[in-house]
Parts: sequence; C-alpha cells; structure tokens
Amino acid sequence: MNGIFLVLFLLCAGYFLLFAPESFLPVLLSGATRAGTVCLSLVAVYCVWMGLMQVMEACGLNRLLSRGLRPAVKGLFDTDDEGAVECLSMNLSANMLGLSGAATPFGIRAAERLDGGKNIRYNQSMLFVLNATSVQILPTTVLGLLLSYGAADAYSIILPSLLSTAASTLLGVLGVKLLIRKDERRSRRRGRKEKKCSTSP
Amino acid sequence: MQYFALIVPLLFLGVFLFAAAKRVKVYDAFTEGVKGAIPLILNIFPYMAAIFMLTALFEESGLSAKLCDFLAPAFEFAGIPREIIKLLIIKPFSGSGATALLSELLETYGADSYICRCAAVCYGSSETVFYIGAVYFATVRERRFAAAVVISLAAALAAAVLGCFLCRIM
Repeated sequence: MNGIFLVLFLLCAGYFLLFAPESFLPVLLSGATRAGTVCLSLVAVYCVWMGLMQVMEACGLNRLLSRGLRPAVKGLFDTDDEGAVECLSMNLSANMLGLSGAATPFGIRAAERLDGGKNIRYNQSMLFVLNATSVQILPTTVLGLLLSYGAADAYSIILPSLLSTAASTLLGVLGVKLLIRKDERRSRRRGRKEKKCSTSP
Repeated sequence: MQYFALIVPLLFLGVFLFAAAKRVKVYDAFTEGVKGAIPLILNIFPYMAAIFMLTALFEESGLSAKLCDFLAPAFEFAGIPREIIKLLIIKPFSGSGATALLSELLETYGADSYICRCAAVCYGSSETVFYIGAVYFATVRERRFAAAVVISLAAALAAAVLGCFLCRIM
C-alpha cells in the first residue's frame, strides 16, 4: 500500500506541477472534504449495524450463524480463532445480502482478530479478495438504478451479473489458494529449516 | 425486487424479537454496540482521507483518462466496449465515482442498450478495491495483502470480460 500510494501520488503531483500548479491544493482539499463527508455518513451506517451486531452477539445469534457457515469459512480461511470465524461468517453473510455497511465493521473486526494469528498473509488476502470481488447475490443498487432509468427488462441482467460475480469470486479465491498458500508453506518450511540449522552446532 | 426491501426490517424485527425472547436487554446491548462506531471511524479516517485525496488527484489530473486511453485497445480486444473502460478503471478507486459514471452512461445510451447492460454487470461484479484495503486493514499491525490487490483486480477484469460476453449472448 505504501508503494502504490507513493508512486501514484508522485505521478499525480508531478503532473499538477507541470500543467496546473494552482489547482493542486484545491483538489487535495476537495478529496479531504469528501473523506469527511463519507466518514460522517459512515458513522450513521455503523451506528445502525454495530448496534444490531451487539444485540445479535448478546443473544447468541452470532454463534448460531457462524455454526451454520463454519464449514464454508473453515474451507476458505485457516484459523483456529473462534471469534475470527464468527466475525468472518457475519461479514460473508452481510456481503451476500448486499449489506456492505453491515459487512464492514465485521470485516474490520475479523481483520483485527486474524492479525497476530497464524497464516496472517493467507487469511488477510482471503478476507480482502472475498470482500473486493463482491459476493452479493442480487445486485440491488444496479437494479435500482436501471429501473429508475426506465429499463424495460432490468431483471435480465441478474443472471449474467450473478455468473460474472461468481466467476470473479471463484477466480479470486483460487488465486489466493494457489498463489499465497504456497508462499506461506514455503516460508514455514524455511522457518523449520532455520530452526534445524540453529539447533545443530 | 420489492421483496428484497423486506430483508432489512425483517432482520431487525427477527433479531430484536429473538433477543427479547432470550431475555437480553436490547436497549443496553444496542447502545453498547453503537458506542463502537465513533472509535472505528476515528481509526479509519486518516486512511480514508489519504485515499480520497489520492483519488481526487488521480481523477482531476487527467491521469485516469490517460490510463483509459492507454488501456483501451487491450480492453476492446477482450470484448469490452470502449464506453465502459472508464467505469472499470474508476471502480477500484471510488464507488461514488463509478455510480456517477454508470448514471451518466444510462442517461446517454438508455437503460436497455447493450452498453448499459454490460456496464451494470461490470459495476456489480467488483467492489472498490483500494477503499477496502484502506478501511478493513486500517487498524491492523501487519498488512500483507499486496498480492491480494493484484489478484482482486485481475479477477474483476476477468469477470468484466465474461460479463460483457454473457450480455452479448443472453
């Protein structure tokens, strides 16, 4: 993230320096303003969902749900942390329903629980990919937009949409499984070797 | 579609009733949960600010348009209409930007056009990748998902190609 940020920022700043130096600061400020307004609206969203989340936790619904989704979560992630499994299943189910506002607090909590556990890189990548490739079952936002613009047959995009979403998620999961798992194993093996080396005189 | 609007109220109703049946103090639990919202936002805010400033720079400098032009031939080769390329490039950076673009396309080409159907499918098949990276892992000490960013972008691209193809034959 540091690398991406620095390179993109430098490129843009250089461009502004050459072509429009006076609009550099206003653009930065407009970006920051947008961050402020988005964060304000997110406060509202999180209030609603984190309130609900706490109620679900207090009455044990979280645990029930995560028991149902456990096989799926266990298949995707490699963690022993029960709290993490719970957050992950809540994150996944909220995402599938298209409630991204509800999914985010769970995702953040899951990321925190995964941090410091085993297989950090693999688990973080899986969480990232699942959330970034969209696992939403019904594309509600898009359908709403299409309908509001008077589409005669808005529902005809559901099937292609579902298939392409499924494809992106599958590809993402496969990518993580194939590319990142190996890496982790290799580094673990290397770790073991290092240990052997250090024990032998 | 209209049934889908029922999910949220039903969810709240169901959870609160279940909680009441389990003798949970719903009001106390709810407020306890809300308490976490502000610290969470405070944690996220610096990263959001940085990402949004970068996005604004990227869009306003015209670099995103240049990137579109540069990538257009490759995308067109893969069967993605030229009009959607900008949408595909903006989407990872900014959700609101992508929504605005989609509305623009809908206005220009009409909701039943091939281009808009493609755009709608592409819009739905991926999320704002960089935003997720900034927000989800803001509070985490070890950030090791750089490869996942690339994987996600590649998967989104493949999904877009597939989506446009499906729109053509379906």
